[in-house]
Amino acid sequence: MLSERPESYEAAVARLEAIIARLDSGDAELRETLALCVEAKGLIQFCKGELDAVSGELRELKLDELVAELDAPPGDAA
Amino acid sequence: MTDPAQPRLDLPEERDPRLPGPFGVGRWAAGFRDFLRERQRVLLIGEVTNFRRARASAYFELRDSDGAVPCAIWTSDLDRLGLPEGALRDGSEVIVAGGPDFYPGTATASPSFSFRVSYLRLAGEGDLLARLAALQAQLEADGLFAPQKLLPRPAIPKTIGVVTARNSAACADLLAGLERRGWRGTIVWADAPVQDRRAAGAIAAALRDLALIPQVEVAVVCRGGGSLTDLWAFCDEALCRTVALLRLPVISAVGHESDRTLIDDVSAVCCSTPTHAANEAVRVNVGAARADLLAGASSAVRAASVAVASRGRRLAELAGGPGRSLRSERARLHQMLREVRASSTRGYFERGRLAARHGLVLSRKAAVATAAERTGRSTLSRLGRATEARMAQSMQQERRRLEALAVTERAHDPERTLERGYALVAADDGAPVTSAATARKRGRVVLRFADDAVGARIERGEDVEREA
Repeated sequence: MLSERPESYEAAVARLEAIIARLDSGDAELRETLALCVEAKGLIQFCKGELDAVSGELRELKLDELVAELDAPPGDAA
Repeated sequence: MTDPAQPRLDLPEERDPRLPGPFGVGRWAAGFRDFLRERQRVLLIGEVTNFRRARASAYFELRDSDGAVPCAIWTSDLDRLGLPEGALRDGSEVIVAGGPDFYPGTATASPSFSFRVSYLRLAGEGDLLARLAALQAQLEADGLFAPQKLLPRPAIPKTIGVVTARNSAACADLLAGLERRGWRGTIVWADAPVQDRRAAGAIAAALRDLALIPQVEVAVVCRGGGSLTDLWAFCDEALCRTVALLRLPVISAVGHESDRTLIDDVSAVCCSTPTHAANEAVRVNVGAARADLLAGASSAVRAASVAVASRGRRLAELAGGPGRSLRSERARLHQMLREVRASSTRGYFERGRLAARHGLVLSRKAAVATAAERTGRSTLSRLGRATEARMAQSMQQERRRLEALAVTERAHDPERTLERGYALVAADDGAPVTSAATARKRGRVVLRFADDAVGARIERGEDVEREA
């Protein structure tokens, strides 16, 4: 069972590969197989989310403008 | 309240009797000039800024990231150097020889300080490399090469900060590299000069600002190729110290493959080209990763299906197992029965044949025995007589031996002992009681005398024994 968010994309992919190897080996018992499938599903969702986050439109911002926003005292935006 | 217009004449220094003077300022200024001119002559290296040529002298400031000195050179000295036209201009990295000088001014002209240059040459690669090596050794000794390399870098950052000259070729290469990676996240552009004396400070400031934006996960500093002089801003000590201590991982992509700047040493990763930097910034090819993920998902689903299906089959096999076992067991029993029957029939005939053969052998033996009896009868009668004599003799000897044994036995007969006044202790069941312990254990005993037997009970056996 995926109890917590993976540390990183690489960690999630590495764990996913280990799960698939375990499932492919056929050594896992039924209970373990089902638990691994649930964990794999969570990892796939996480990885998909990471990929989706950088697969839309390229967004370009200017540092000067961001810094100006940061420097502006609260309430200035209004 | 004191009147601000009223000069204060009671300064502690003025009252100090050790202070010499007051002197005439002009004379003191001339003395100061002489004092400076006696200073040791030195070589300085720095960047020329604000260069201007007047009739008698050329003036400029020699500057680096730590400070500046106003310089002056006699136009006659400058012309004698034979520098190429336009070589000495703002931005030139030069080495000057000279010493401090002071113009004391006049009653109407302002005084000024300057470094009087008597010799000047453009700094060569060798000069810069020597400075680079010294700086490199210093930064390494301060342990500044390692910190950036220890920072964690996400494989797929969502936001990348880029410090570069906007619209440069390097900038376009970086964008193309990111596009090839299939990466379309957020870029925060930090425009900065990448060549003049303001570059190092501007780049350091941009990096510090990027580090303040929590969404920025990695920064790329990039610039196209150039001479070491052109790239000198990226060897700036203050910039390198800033990069080294930044919590934001910095990827440097300055110059071409052969170019080497100090920022390369202190950054998390040093790349030879902007394309290489794009690959390091986004270490996973997003398109390929998506395909891999799809394959992984299919693989997991397939493996799970196979696991469930194979176990289903096994369960079905197990469920049909008892009936199948019973059938096979029944068939096996039938087979064994057939074999037993066949074997018994075969045995019956075998035994019949064996009995007939035994009969034949016995009848032959009987015939042989009859013949032997006839021939042996006379021998037997002769032997019989000898045997009878031998047996009579043996019988006599045996009888005598028995009589001797009877005498001996009588001597050991307990009845004879009883006749002499002893009694025999036995248990109820007739078993002899031969020890006090057994008697105590039994409780009841039988005392056999020569004439009769009487029952007795063992009482307080231990006391009796002690009294005895």
